[in-house]
Amino acid sequence: MSTAAPSSSLAVQRGVLGAVLLVLCWEGLARGLHLPSYVLPAVSEILAGAWSKRALLSEAAGYTLLEALVGYGLGCLIGIGLAVAITMLPPLRAVILPAATAINAVPVVGYSPLILLWFGIGVVSKMVMVAMAVSFTVFLSTLAGLDRVDRRAVDLMRSFGAGRFSILWRLRLPTALPLLLAGMRVSTVRSVIIAIITEMLGAYGGLGWVIYQAVLQIDFVQVWSAIFVASAASLSFFGLIGLLERKILFWK
Amino acid sequence: MSIGSTASLVGDKAAAGVRPRHLPGWMRKTARLLLGLAVTALLWEGSVRLFGIRPAYLPRLSVILAAMAATPRAYLDGFVRTLAETLIGFAAGGAFGVLIGIAFFRLRALREMIFPIFVVSQTIPVIAFGALVVLWFGNTLLAKAVIAFYLTFFPVTVNTLLGLETVDPKLVALMRSFGASNRQLLLRLQLPTALPHIFVALRLASSLSLVGAIVGEWFGDTTGIGVLLLQAMYTENVVALWGALLAAALLGTGFYAVVAAAERRLVFWSAEQ
Repeated sequence: MSTAAPSSSLAVQRGVLGAVLLVLCWEGLARGLHLPSYVLPAVSEILAGAWSKRALLSEAAGYTLLEALVGYGLGCLIGIGLAVAITMLPPLRAVILPAATAINAVPVVGYSPLILLWFGIGVVSKMVMVAMAVSFTVFLSTLAGLDRVDRRAVDLMRSFGAGRFSILWRLRLPTALPLLLAGMRVSTVRSVIIAIITEMLGAYGGLGWVIYQAVLQIDFVQVWSAIFVASAASLSFFGLIGLLERKILFWK
Repeated sequence: MSIGSTASLVGDKAAAGVRPRHLPGWMRKTARLLLGLAVTALLWEGSVRLFGIRPAYLPRLSVILAAMAATPRAYLDGFVRTLAETLIGFAAGGAFGVLIGIAFFRLRALREMIFPIFVVSQTIPVIAFGALVVLWFGNTLLAKAVIAFYLTFFPVTVNTLLGLETVDPKLVALMRSFGASNRQLLLRLQLPTALPHIFVALRLASSLSLVGAIVGEWFGDTTGIGVLLLQAMYTENVVALWGALLAAALLGTGFYAVVAAAERRLVFWSAEQ
């Protein structure tokens, strides 16, 4: 710990330095070469643009985050539920695993047009898309975690008369938790991105919609401000789940 | 004694190899694959008829295949075009990812400065990035390949770095004591050790590059699987939509299988499939 602390603070310093250098290069390049805003607007210009459009952007971000969060919650429940069901009822594995793999053969975004036709262009279609994308990742990581259990530990618990449920609750789930939470953490960024992609194909609002409209109007300062807002939203969602992960996995 | 036991071992192998080893291999796998496909097709066709699922949700497989056969040109052209975009993006992203991974491994300061920026870059929604790329590079094949590249390079970088860090320092010290150069160290020890990790990322990247190509085509193009998907959505033609989805599935699984086969060939020592 004592050796890790200085090197990690150095890493943070270097990370900040890298970010500052990037912003300076960007700003210098855009201003020095007088790049037109459709090629690359200056960072200061983007921030000013984002501030002047803050009402629009924050409303859009709220819309997108609502879709992403609801879809994410649903996806996690479905993924974990399926993985637990397979573990409790092994015959289900032969049905669910090939079906999940077959559905996943098409890249998730490929389903966007179909889901939009089925569920309309409101918020529901985005939630369904996010839930699909998240559930598969969470399902696979939970299953990997549940399968990682030591056979001998199961036998030991069974020899003391533990039932399936108590083995699941006391042994399998705690063992699976690190992998499960890692899958959930990775899915956060994915959920926001999938919501935005689906919004681009048709929506009443949201960051994807704002970006698409701005592209059509060739307003690239607005495209970049929406990108900044989307990145910030993804990162805070990611950070939130990461924090939760460290709280839950206190023994790590 | 030793010769005898070797001979008997060879004999056993030959005896065991007569049936299940020679014929099987790829043939048994292909047979199983075809059987699986046939069962899926039957289930699809049967359940749509049996439960009376409306064609607006899931048309019968035979209807979809007939529609594809009626206009094979569009699907074929789209398939080839999207395949080209996917492959270029994948190759560029894979090569870049491995090189940057090695650079990050060698230069710690560089990694600590740039890696966080890479992480943040991955939170940029791909369509926003795509809009910019299409603007910069025009509506060309290259633009789609760049989008595929953007989605591909990150996991490869991360896993290359991860793999290189698993190298046993004692082995490095041993090779150094025999006077191995940095290059030899990299080619003989570090990269082979990292290869299984790199291939895990490449398998993931194979699907991601397809996503990049499809989304890239949504910015307006005339050929490609992504274009077929969008056209079908605008005309609410569910049969064509499923046709495009089938084409995407074929491309995605085919490419994944090729990468996985390459993995089995190159990482022959790894127990993991």
